[in-house]
Amino acid sequence: MDIQTTGLTRRFGKVTALHSVDLAIPGGMYGLLGANGAGKTTLMRILAGVLPPSGGQVRVGGHDLATGAGRLAVQRRLGYLPQDLGLYPDLSPREFLDYVGLLKGLDDTRARRRQVDELLELVALTEVAGRRMKGFSGGMRRRVGIAQALLGDPALIVVDEPTAGLDPEERVRFRTLLSGLAGNRTVLLSTHIVEDVAQTCQYAAVMAGGRVVYTGMVTELVRVGEGATWEVVTGVGVAPPAGVVVSAISRTDGTHYRVVSPTRPSADAVPVTPSLEDGYVALMQR
Amino acid sequence: MSEEEGERVRGSGVSGMSELLAVGRYEFRMQARKRSLWLATAVLATVIGVFQGPRGPRYLPADAPAPEVMAGWAMLFGIVVPLAFGMVLADRLIRDRRLGTAPLLESLPVRPGLLLAGKYLGGVAATGLPALLLMLVAGGYETVHRGDPLILGWAVLAFALVMLPGLAFVAGFALTCPLAVSAPLFRVLFVGYWFWGNMLTPDFLPSLTGTLVTPIGDYQASWLSGELALFAGVPGWLNFLRPEPGAGSALLSIALLLLLGLLPLLVTHTVLARRRHAA
Repeated sequence: MDIQTTGLTRRFGKVTALHSVDLAIPGGMYGLLGANGAGKTTLMRILAGVLPPSGGQVRVGGHDLATGAGRLAVQRRLGYLPQDLGLYPDLSPREFLDYVGLLKGLDDTRARRRQVDELLELVALTEVAGRRMKGFSGGMRRRVGIAQALLGDPALIVVDEPTAGLDPEERVRFRTLLSGLAGNRTVLLSTHIVEDVAQTCQYAAVMAGGRVVYTGMVTELVRVGEGATWEVVTGVGVAPPAGVVVSAISRTDGTHYRVVSPTRPSADAVPVTPSLEDGYVALMQR
Repeated sequence: MSEEEGERVRGSGVSGMSELLAVGRYEFRMQARKRSLWLATAVLATVIGVFQGPRGPRYLPADAPAPEVMAGWAMLFGIVVPLAFGMVLADRLIRDRRLGTAPLLESLPVRPGLLLAGKYLGGVAATGLPALLLMLVAGGYETVHRGDPLILGWAVLAFALVMLPGLAFVAGFALTCPLAVSAPLFRVLFVGYWFWGNMLTPDFLPSLTGTLVTPIGDYQASWLSGELALFAGVPGWLNFLRPEPGAGSALLSIALLLLLGLLPLLVTHTVLARRRHAA
């Protein structure tokens, strides 16, 4: 299910959250990177049909989201994991998934129950499937969230900041799960965690201030950091070098800084191979 | 699961009936699990049941007709128990925003009106269940006390005619009003309204007490018992809403209460739809 936005704009009163966004998202896993407040969630909510655009066009799988019929057609093939998804504390995961399944139009009771059980197993929640969700940890709640997004075998999966707040093990497990889902689907992963995109996506877009500032292959985004990523070693107590410090590690010979800067930050700075994070930071500096 | 299998599992969903029933069923389940619903109902019903005045159904003569006895119980419970229901239902719609489930619900292929209607049905059913149980307990007590097994049937009928329309009326307002005012403020206003509009004698202050739109079921109880239950039809403010009690006025009262309960839902649906489409 390909996504095409043209001149997409969204305003909240006097604040413009999206400025004429043009984006073409093919099938497969696609990353959407950006700092908090970049407009990612607004874009996700528009793609999920939760929020209408103020201007421009959005077509998902050929359906125009500006029309009720188009929105319904997309929502019938959509799996959406909103940022900070809440759950009903008085329901168990099995009941919650059954409820969402019914609202997704999965009317065949036996098939729906079988799918719910499969998904609970996929996200490793079978053991607590009958327990009420009050008191579930953040990781368990996210797993319920991703399971509900997968109900009905959606052709488009939109996940908004799915790994924020998860412990490293949960994050890796979540990323692997999402990658495995891509296949012939479109999985749109919105995140401010660069590592998540680096590990899962071939293509990505970067948003800043409500605008798309980069679209293309992730490897190309890494290359933005070429010639702008440096390592500088300073003595203890010496101020960090100019530029954006990506990391600082104290060792016996001094503090090793990884710096992104368009110019050599100091005479002894050594150019290093950039990572996606370096490329992203370099892009944000432009 | 393959895409083909996914399509087969997914129903047409055109009518929306299955979605409506799903929302109603799960809203009922979630609300019925709320301990406060049962606790508040039990406390209020016990207090009013034990400390009912000399006009209460417990003090009716042994040969009092069954409809009069059970209409009396329905009125008695209907005076205080819906207070608890209004309190409990006040957060059911707004909690979707508070809990963070609203964005997910809005992304599902269900018309917002169906979601609202399902929550309403679930709310009415969840408050109707303890009310029905109360009536069955009272009916059981009266069956033993008076030795008339038909009383249980009258208990169910009195619940349906006297209590249920009022519960539907309360559910409509309790679900939607907290969207405009906060839930705590709604609860305060609701208690004030309840005493003013249902129990304040019409000759004391202009009040809705004793009118067709009194949700405690004054007209229906008067019709069932064949006597003036409380204030139905007593002259007062808005006299056109105070016809003589009888079958016609009781049915009119039921219809008005049901329609008035739906009115806030329609207004809410319209306002939310406009807000949603206002880009």
